[in-house]
Amino acid sequence: MTLLLLLPALALVLGVFLWPLLRYGWLSLQASSVLTGLVPMPNGGANWQRLLADARFWQDAAQTLRFAGLSLALELLLGLGLALLLHRPLPRRGLVRALVLLPWALPTTVMALGWRWILNDPFGPLNGLLQSLGLPAYGFLSQPASTWLFTVLADVWKTTPFVALLLLAGLQAIPSELEEALRLEGAGPWQRLRRLTLPLLAPYLLLTALFRLAQALGVFDLIQVLTGGGPASSTESLALYAYLNAMRFLDFGYAATLMLGMFALVLGLSALVLLTQALRRRLAEVTP
Amino acid sequence: MTTAGLHCEQLSRRVGDRLLLDGLNLSVAPGESLALLGPSGCGKTTTLRLLAGLDPVSGGRIRLDGQDVTHSPAGERQVAMVFQSYALYPHLSVLANLELGLEVRRVPAPERRQRIAEVLALLQLEGLERRRPAQLSGGQRQRVALARALLRQPRLMLLDEPMSNLDAQLRDQLRPELRALLHRAGHPVIHVTHDQQEAMGLADRIAVLESGVLQQVGTPQELYHRPANLFVARFLGRPGINLLAGEAGVQLGIRPEQLRLVESGGLPARLLRREWQGSQQLLWLDTSRGELLLLAEASLSPGEQLQVSWRPEDELRFSSASGERLA
Repeated sequence: MTLLLLLPALALVLGVFLWPLLRYGWLSLQASSVLTGLVPMPNGGANWQRLLADARFWQDAAQTLRFAGLSLALELLLGLGLALLLHRPLPRRGLVRALVLLPWALPTTVMALGWRWILNDPFGPLNGLLQSLGLPAYGFLSQPASTWLFTVLADVWKTTPFVALLLLAGLQAIPSELEEALRLEGAGPWQRLRRLTLPLLAPYLLLTALFRLAQALGVFDLIQVLTGGGPASSTESLALYAYLNAMRFLDFGYAATLMLGMFALVLGLSALVLLTQALRRRLAEVTP
Repeated sequence: MTTAGLHCEQLSRRVGDRLLLDGLNLSVAPGESLALLGPSGCGKTTTLRLLAGLDPVSGGRIRLDGQDVTHSPAGERQVAMVFQSYALYPHLSVLANLELGLEVRRVPAPERRQRIAEVLALLQLEGLERRRPAQLSGGQRQRVALARALLRQPRLMLLDEPMSNLDAQLRDQLRPELRALLHRAGHPVIHVTHDQQEAMGLADRIAVLESGVLQQVGTPQELYHRPANLFVARFLGRPGINLLAGEAGVQLGIRPEQLRLVESGGLPARLLRREWQGSQQLLWLDTSRGELLLLAEASLSPGEQLQVSWRPEDELRFSSASGERLA
């Protein structure tokens, strides 16, 4: 009976998670490309050896981490600020909250196309602004050193409202008497934030961070539309590289290996975040 | 008029076009304990929040020890409050709960430790310092909240339904303890309750509120024996006061325990039903002047024909029109 009730959930997990994972594992041990006529043929660990020596994989891994790290930091910071703002009694609060959520409700492709136009050199509005100030036009999307910053900008613009929404839910779960009690004790807004709100919000911050980390490490659509991974692969993410291998180079064996490499990265980082959290809690318990 | 203690004049609170509190005048002396009593929505919690500075005042003045604090921020009033939920910081141990306010007010560490040790001893909380609020019983939580409030060294102590989260037995046990403790601490105390037993047990004086308007302030005895109006008469006392028609324009009130069963010469009555209450029985009587409640020790059965009487001086006389008590 128990098994029967578990069956739908079990089927879902096995079907959409475990089965593809196993299939990837198997595929990563095959040569399966145009050279083999797309017929999988076992090639030992050749794909994995190639991965370890692949400079582009490591460069993309570094770029993906860089993108995810900065996006996450900015989104948490701005999202927290926005959530605190939205938590205050505002006139027309429902309307304001709906408006704030708009960027997140926009499909990524549409949003990325918009940003591509805003950042266009020399015809985009941003360059129009620069030129009206007497400054030269700037190639926002053609500088290998700085273009990644604008992919982060677009991601932050889109995802901050989502982070703010999750944190707002956390703020609303904190009973208002706690803040009032601390106010009566003479604590100012900054002290209340640091000593009460942030510690109580910590589980929500952690959850949001994990959520966003996994999403940002797998970033694909935004980069594909905004920069196509360029200039000179300087904004290419791991997901984009895996996609190129599968869909452009038709090397499915290696693409599967790349996906698994990415999966390991996400898993490892998430575990690390959870571990530090568990450690922190353990420490808080032994110290008064 | 002395300046020490709390004085409110014409204190009002309006939200939109709703008047939650209408011109409250109230004084509480140091060491005195006052209960704000009334049904829910009567304005008692509103009053508490205005005094604490958690909500803005719409009119009137609040003075504490001679200082006008009507518009002072909550943190600068030196007012402590025990919340109904106790509002202990859930992420902090008992010790850290007590220490946080002192740290915020920059009390030096040695003094912090000493003062915390004092309240821990006073409230018998020693040994619980490391516990989180979730690991405490209801009574222990209340004591921690009280300890935290005492550490504030308040000029005014506010308690919002301090007993409502405790079971009846614990309430009876804690009421005298809390009363003694608050008396010793020596600041003016206001506590809000909808429970008359709690108000009578904890407070020196009771202020009865209804619809944002103060009905009467006085000692529990005054309120019980000389209620200002029908509302106060009906609100205090359990079982409730008997009301019967008097001469034109007058309503009579008579407490159930002041009715007597007599052999002859009384008002004829028929016993409708009874409720056993331990030492006494509560009787419902049907008479020509309406239904009456009576407390008696006699053992009677429903349907019996009886006669009731009372002393004229025990009658409370109210104006039918205004509800005010007539002299």
